[in-house]
This record gives sequence, structure tokens and C-alpha cells, in this order.
Amino acid sequence: MFKRYLTFILLTATSSLFAQNIEFKSSNFKDKKEEFKKAEQAIENGDVFYKIANDAIFLVQNPGKNYKKALIEYEIAQKFNPNNAELNLKIGVCLAYSTDPFKAIPYFKKAKTLDPACNPFLNYYLGYSQQLEGNFDEALKSYSQFETEYKKADDFSKFVVQRKKECASGKTSFANPVRAWVDIVPELNSEFDDYAPSISTDGSELIFTSNRDNGHPINDVGEYDKDIYTSTLNNGKWSAPKQIVGGVNSLLDDVSSNLSFDGTRMLLNRESNGQKDIYESVLKGNSWSDPVIFNFQISSQKTNEEYAAYSDDGWSLYFTRDNDTRANGYDIYNSKMQSKLNKDYAAATTMIPMNSKFNDGPIYLHIDGETMYIASQGNESIGGYDIFVSRKYRGAWTTPVNLGYPINTPYDDFFFAATANGKFAYISSNRAGGKGGYDIYKVTFWGVEKTPIVDVEDFLLSSIAMPMKDHQIEATVDINKKTFTVFKGATFDAITKKPIEADIDIIDNTTGTIIETFTTNSASGKFIITLVSGKNYGIAVKAKNYLFHSENFDIPTGSSDNLVSKIIELKNIAIGSKITLRNVFFDTGKSSLRVESNGELDRVVKLLKDVPNLKIEISGHTDNTGSANLNETLSQQRAESVVTYLKNKGIIANRLTAKGYGSSKPVSSNSTEDGKQQNRRTEFEIKGN
Amino acid sequence: MKMKNRFLLSISFLVTFSTFAQLEELTTSEIAYRDSISALNLKNEATAQSQEFYNKGIQYFGEKNYTGAIEQFGKSITLDPNFTAAYYNKGVAENEVGNFKQASITLDKLITIDPNYSKAYFQRARAFQGNNDYLKAEKDYDKSIQLDPNNPKAYYNYGTLKFLQIDYPEAIKFFTKAIELDPNFAFAFNDRGSCHRMMANYPKAILDYEAALTKNPKLAFVLNNIGTTKKKMKDYPGAIAAFNKAISIDPNYSPAYNNRGVYQLEQGKKEDAKNDFEKALQLNPKYAAAADNLSAIYFKQKEYKKAFEFANNAISFDSNYAGAYVNRGIAKEMLRDMEGACNDWHKAEELGAELGKKYHSENCNN
Repeated sequence: MFKRYLTFILLTATSSLFAQNIEFKSSNFKDKKEEFKKAEQAIENGDVFYKIANDAIFLVQNPGKNYKKALIEYEIAQKFNPNNAELNLKIGVCLAYSTDPFKAIPYFKKAKTLDPACNPFLNYYLGYSQQLEGNFDEALKSYSQFETEYKKADDFSKFVVQRKKECASGKTSFANPVRAWVDIVPELNSEFDDYAPSISTDGSELIFTSNRDNGHPINDVGEYDKDIYTSTLNNGKWSAPKQIVGGVNSLLDDVSSNLSFDGTRMLLNRESNGQKDIYESVLKGNSWSDPVIFNFQISSQKTNEEYAAYSDDGWSLYFTRDNDTRANGYDIYNSKMQSKLNKDYAAATTMIPMNSKFNDGPIYLHIDGETMYIASQGNESIGGYDIFVSRKYRGAWTTPVNLGYPINTPYDDFFFAATANGKFAYISSNRAGGKGGYDIYKVTFWGVEKTPIVDVEDFLLSSIAMPMKDHQIEATVDINKKTFTVFKGATFDAITKKPIEADIDIIDNTTGTIIETFTTNSASGKFIITLVSGKNYGIAVKAKNYLFHSENFDIPTGSSDNLVSKIIELKNIAIGSKITLRNVFFDTGKSSLRVESNGELDRVVKLLKDVPNLKIEISGHTDNTGSANLNETLSQQRAESVVTYLKNKGIIANRLTAKGYGSSKPVSSNSTEDGKQQNRRTEFEIKGN
Repeated sequence: MKMKNRFLLSISFLVTFSTFAQLEELTTSEIAYRDSISALNLKNEATAQSQEFYNKGIQYFGEKNYTGAIEQFGKSITLDPNFTAAYYNKGVAENEVGNFKQASITLDKLITIDPNYSKAYFQRARAFQGNNDYLKAEKDYDKSIQLDPNNPKAYYNYGTLKFLQIDYPEAIKFFTKAIELDPNFAFAFNDRGSCHRMMANYPKAILDYEAALTKNPKLAFVLNNIGTTKKKMKDYPGAIAAFNKAISIDPNYSPAYNNRGVYQLEQGKKEDAKNDFEKALQLNPKYAAAADNLSAIYFKQKEYKKAFEFANNAISFDSNYAGAYVNRGIAKEMLRDMEGACNDWHKAEELGAELGKKYHSENCNN
């Protein structure tokens, strides 16, 4: 760290040691006499041009190529001796009036370092450097210093007054930037001067001027002549510039000024032998015609005319003319035609409110006819050319107002080509940070400060705040899963097989209720009904002179053919006929009757009551499971239970006998479960009739 | 295992055969009879399945699974195309999810099956209203009222329809009728108040809003309406008191924070406003207006990136929020995205924002 500090001190010391003004004296270059002579000669040569240029500046006239020529000479001397304050100042001045004025700044600073008192103008140009850098307070000090020291009773004070005014305006302007962005347009610019943009009303084509390499011979200061270029806007980007087609571009400087609003005419200027005049070219097809010089009312041989603009109605021309006699540089003039056909422009008049003591113009009239943009080195400029706006008020143009920073800077900012809606404009500027020389910049105006939307939220309708919905949907339903099975059958005489007309009751055994009562067909004995599937049913069949028949059966769910068939054979009530009471049920292993048996037994009661002479034996039967004694006892007890039931229902005891046969009278084999089921039964036998 | 099954089947067949011996062949009329019973069984089975889907749909509806409910009711209808209750419930569920077009189709079918299904007209009117088909909605409310003249909801909804058509005097008549039928109908009071407000009769509006509050003191949105109405009456203390009360009744009622924020912003209290908008957004993280208002504050503070982000959020919450497109556009402009700004203003213009139209015409055409 310490070492670094030492190094810094040493460097600073060395720098100040070498920053001594070295006068162009032979005694200072004893070892380089020849080189010294050449350098001295170069300065002498340069001074000639330098003086001419300075005089032109003093008279607010164009210095032409004189500073450039001087610079070429001075650079020879500078190479030989870069530490001469005076030479550095002169080089700075040459550069200050070039199209790259920021390049002057280091030379002025160096001149000051070498010898602050080398030239009375140094403080002026130091002020100028500071102004370019936006250091307006410093610049003001330097200008004041210059004023104090500059004793010549000439008219230069008007420059100093103007610079000081610029600094005051600049300070305000920088502190209050206008609502716009200014962006370089890289597609259009080069290291050369690119300037004088004009744009078609629809914003799709831009023409401008450039002294870029056009293949023509370079002039004595190494520059190409100026030609006019065109570029079109595609998807927000400008195409690569091309020279406009036709007879406009020549070996002379051809400088565009303004496109007519319909894009078919162009104003331009040409310089020939120090004479600048305004010309017009017309677009024919895709080609621009050879430019035609305006009549003497506009393009006078006595004066130089440079920039021009069409009025919105096409009847007037606004243009700039240099008035040699007044040392005020170019002023703005206006001339009106008597007839568009003859293009007979009347004598031009100066536009007094627009003009300053310095160069004014170029001009641009907006299509609205109410707005004029003027560039000026005077008025309220903040340095160099600035762009001003004037509006028509009650038929007269108002005092131009500076468009403000960042559109304007202490550098040259001029030309103004706006799109129809005024949102965008293209200008030229040689501000620092460009590609070199004048560059074309795009101005995007923000417009009046935009107001964001702030929303209050109301819920004026309750149904929006709290949506009212009718949630009363319909209720659930009980699911009905009933299926039906066709129950088909017939009643026949068990012995003769003849059809019998019989009365049939169908009983739902789960509830004990009769659900169907019908009579079979007398001719066929057939019947067909529908029953709910998945249940157990009892069927009781009764026919005159036939023994009552009953049984229970299942109607399964999901039978494949959806049909259950049954043949019922009825027995004649003859003595010895036996009937099995299939719907008589006992508790397991007991003799107690289950209530489901009541229906069947009531039918027996009814039979006995219907046939009063009928005597029957109730017999109980088991399968062969278990002990014979027990089976016999249980079957006897069960038969007695049935007899007791019948007695209780009013049947006289002597018509009834009870007998338990155990397993002694099987009706089927006991070797199968089904057989056993058949054997477990209650029967009655007709014993008397 | 397979063998055993087969054996059992054969035993069972034999038993059946022996017990219920098949009759000789069926006669033609018996076959027809059996077939008709088979057909009846099939129909009954379909009906039962339809009812199962229907009941499942009701269960889903109760669980607020409206999409599931719609699916179940749809299946129910497929199996039993005359099941009117299933159509009705499907229509209600479709209204519930905002599928108004489908709801009107479903209820059309129901009304075709049963033109006297009065509730169907009410629901279909709701569907038409949701679809902004006001003329059809009016016809259905008329029919609903004709079939069920004592349903205050039909009058109420008819009133909202008139309100939406900016026919405030007519809307007032319907809200008044709804109030006659149901004197505690707080919503009808509020909405009638809003009619008065839209007719710039602010004192009458306040009276109705306050009546709504007496019927139901917990309606924060009514207080919010009082606040915004008093703001219009330039009764600023009254407005802020109403917003504060809305917040005290329902500390989670985000619109009251948002509106209080707007009031604060108008008073130049940017930080207080920001706090309110942030609170509103915290309570309702997809609250487009609050997000957009935050965007406005950041824009005013020249924090354009944040202004962009909040407007962008507002648009993500509500893609049809015209104001948010305006605000995102102005933020984009300042962020040097002019093309994006113009697109946003154009969209805002399409959505009806005058400011979007203005900014677009002033900034986006050469």
C-alpha cells in the first residue's frame, strides 16, 4: 500500500514536471533544427487558415474548411512538440468548430495545464469545455474570468454574453429535463456526419445526408462530398441506408432539407464555389429528378441559402439565408407563391421573431400547420444549435421556446422531423457518445404525464358481492331395484292328468300375506302370473272334490330365462289319500309350531270345516338321523301339536288322530340331503269321508 | 374349485327340474308376456342405476363438488331420459360453476319434458342472465313469476337484470316487490339502494343501504357501498367511517381496505394507501384491483419496474381487467417497451377503457 502511494506521488510529480509549456523557439530544439523548422512552418501555414476561420466565426459566418486545413498543419507541429500551450489551444479551437467538438476538451485542458496565461481566449474555451460537460457553474466562472481579462473593444462580448446565458439556461434545463427519451439510431449512423433527417408523413421512410464513403474522390481535407440517403422502417428497425435513386446526388455537397408531406418533393441545398442555394427535386416513380434551383427570390446569387421547409399547405417556403451585412449568421425567411403552377415565389421576408444574432435554422413545419420547429444558436440555447418550437397564435408565430434537455444539449442539436402524431421525432446532434460527427437520434416524447388508473371496488349488486344461488336442488329418491319373474303353471288331476280348474292363493312368506288369488283355466288348468324376484312364496291350491295342495317355493333373482314353471297335481279326496303339509314348520328339535305355519294349518281347518265328514290322521315323519326312539317321540309330539292347533280352531277331536312314525315311513331316500328334506314332513291322511 | 362349482350347479339344476318341471313349450302370447316382463326388468334396472347416479350427484353437490355432481346427473339422465329432477339438479350445478350455456341447454330439455316445472324457468333465467342474454332471461323470470308468483328471488333476480340493463326505475320496482314478499330481504334493500345511487339520489341510496344493514348488520359490502356513496357525496369522514366499520365487522373484507386505500391516495397519503392495498392483497392474494392500485402508486413514485409487476399480477388475476392493461402499458412505456405498451393500451381499449384508447391513439400511431 505504502509502495503504491509512493508510486502515485511520483507519477503526479513526474506529470507536473513534464507539464511545462515548451515554446516553439529554436533554442528549445537545438538538436532538431530541421524538424523544428518544419513544425514552425506548419504553424505558420495553419495560422493563415486559423485566422480566416476565426474571422468568419467572429462574423457568425461559416468557417468553411479553414479550421480543418489549419488542424492538418497544427497536427504536424503538435506531433513534434505536444507541450505548447498555444498550439494546444489552437488545435482545441479547430476541433471545437468541427463536428466532433468533444475532442477539443483535452486540448483546452492541456493548454491550461501548460500555461493558463498562454492566450486570453483560453478561459473562454475552457468555459466552452466545461459547458459541453454540463459543468455550468464552472463554465460561468471561466466565462466571467475571460470577460474580466478580455479588454478588446470589439463585438466578441456578444459571444460571451450568449455563452453565459446558455449556461444559465442549461443549468435550469438539466435540472428539469423534458419528458422525452433521446436515443441514437444505430442503423442510420456512421463515423462520418449523418444528419438532416426528413421523414415521410406515415413514418415509414427517412432520408438524410451523410458524408460517408460514397466512392467519390475525397477533397483537400480528406472528406467525401455529402450525398442524400434513404432508409425504410421495417418491424421497428431502419434498413441499411442507400443513396437515393435519381439525379440528386452529385460530386458536390447535396444536403437534404425537407420532404413534402406527401413525400413526392424534396428540398435540398448544394454548394458550388462557395455559393449555397436551395433546390427542389421531384419523385417520379422511384427516382428523384435532377434538382432544380429556385428562382432568385429564394436562391439568390448575392446570398447563401441553406435550409428550407415546405409549409403545411404547400404555398409557402421557409428557408435560411445568410446576411453578410449584419454578422448575424443565417436568418429565417418566408416566401409565398402566387401560383402553384408557376411556382412564382414572391420576395422573401425575414421572420423577425424567429431570428437571433446567431445562426438560425434549419426549420421544420409540422403537418398540423400550427407548429414550427427551428434550430438556433441564439435565443435561449443551452449551447451550440438547439431546437426550439414556435406555435401559431392568432395567425402569428410565438417566440420560439427551447425544447429542453435531453433533446437539446450544449452541443449542436438541430433538425427536427416528426411523425404525424408528434410522438416521435428525429434530430441530428454531435453530442458525446455518438458514432462520430453528427449522428441521427430518435426522440420519443412521453407526452403529458400519464395518469394510472386507480379503482374503487363497489359491490352495488349484492348478488355479485355474495352470489345468491338457489341451492334448493331436488331431493334424493329411494332406489327401486325390483325385478319380476314370470311364474307359470297348471293344475292337473294327479291320477287322470286332466286339467283341473283350481283356486290358487300365492302367499308372500316373509309377511304371511296373500298377494295373489286367482283361478286356473278350466280347460287347460294353466295359469301365468308375475312375481317379484328374490323371495320365498307359498302356494295353496284348492279344487272341488280334490285334496287341498300347498307348498313353498323360491323365485330367484336374475334367472336366465326369467321364468319359473310349476305343475300342480291335485289328489282326489279319497280315503287313504295322503297330503304332505309342506308349509308347516317347527322350531328346530322341538314340537312347537312356528307362526309361519298358521296359514297352512288354517287351510286344513278350512278343509275340515268345508268337508264336515272328513276324518284325518295327522302324522309326523323324520329322516333317519339320530335315534329311532327320539325321532318317533318328536314326530308324535309334532303331530299332536298340529292336532292341538286344529282342535283349538274348533275341529272336533274325534275327527283327528295324531301319529308319530319317526323315520319309519320315508318317501324318499335318506341317503341325500334332499331326500332327507322330503322325509322330514307333516302329513295328513284321509281316514274317513 | 372349478370342478366343485360345476358339480353344485348340476345338482341345483336337477333339483329345480324335479321340483319345477318345465312346461312344454311356451305359446306365442306367453313368450310375448315373458318378454314384456324382461323388458320391464331391464327398464327397472336402468331406472335404479339412474337413481343411484342421481343420489350420488346430490351427495357431490352437497360436498360442493359441482363438476362431479354434473357428471353424475348426466349419467342419471342418460339412463333415464325422463328423470326431470336429474335435469333440474344438473342445470343448477351448471349454473353454480358458471357454465351458463350448458345450464340453459339442460334446462331447455327439462322444460320440453315438463313445461310446468316452475323452478326450471327461474334457473334457466339465471343461466341466460349469466350468459348476458337478458331478453331471454326476462322471459323466463316472467314465466317463473307467473307459475310461482310468491317467489321473492325471482323478483330480485329480475331486478338485478334490469339494473344490469341500466333500467334503474324498473329495477327499483322489482326490488320493491321482492321486499314486499320478504321484508327481511337485505340484498333487495342494498340493490334498490344501488339503483338510487346510480340515479345520483345518494340520500335515498344511503337510506336503503342502512335498511339492508338493519336486516343483516354483518354485510360488510353494504358498508363498503355506504363508504363509496358517501365519498361521492364528498362526505369524507362518513366514507372513511364506513370503510373502517366494514373492516371492524369483517377484518378480512379486502374491498374495504382497497377503497380506503384509494381514499388515502386521493388525500395524498401514499404510504397509508400502499399499506391498505397491501393488506387487501394479503387478504385476497388474487385481488386484481388492489394489485393494480399498487401498480398505480409505484408508477406515481416512478418505480416503474414494480408498477409493471403489480399490473402484470392484476392481469394474471383477471385477464379482462382493462385498468390493469392501461397501467401495465404506462409502466412498460417508461421501461422502454413501447411495443408492449401499445399492445396493452390496445387491449385496454378493446376491453372498453377510454384511457387505453386515448393513450393508444396518442402514442402508438405514426
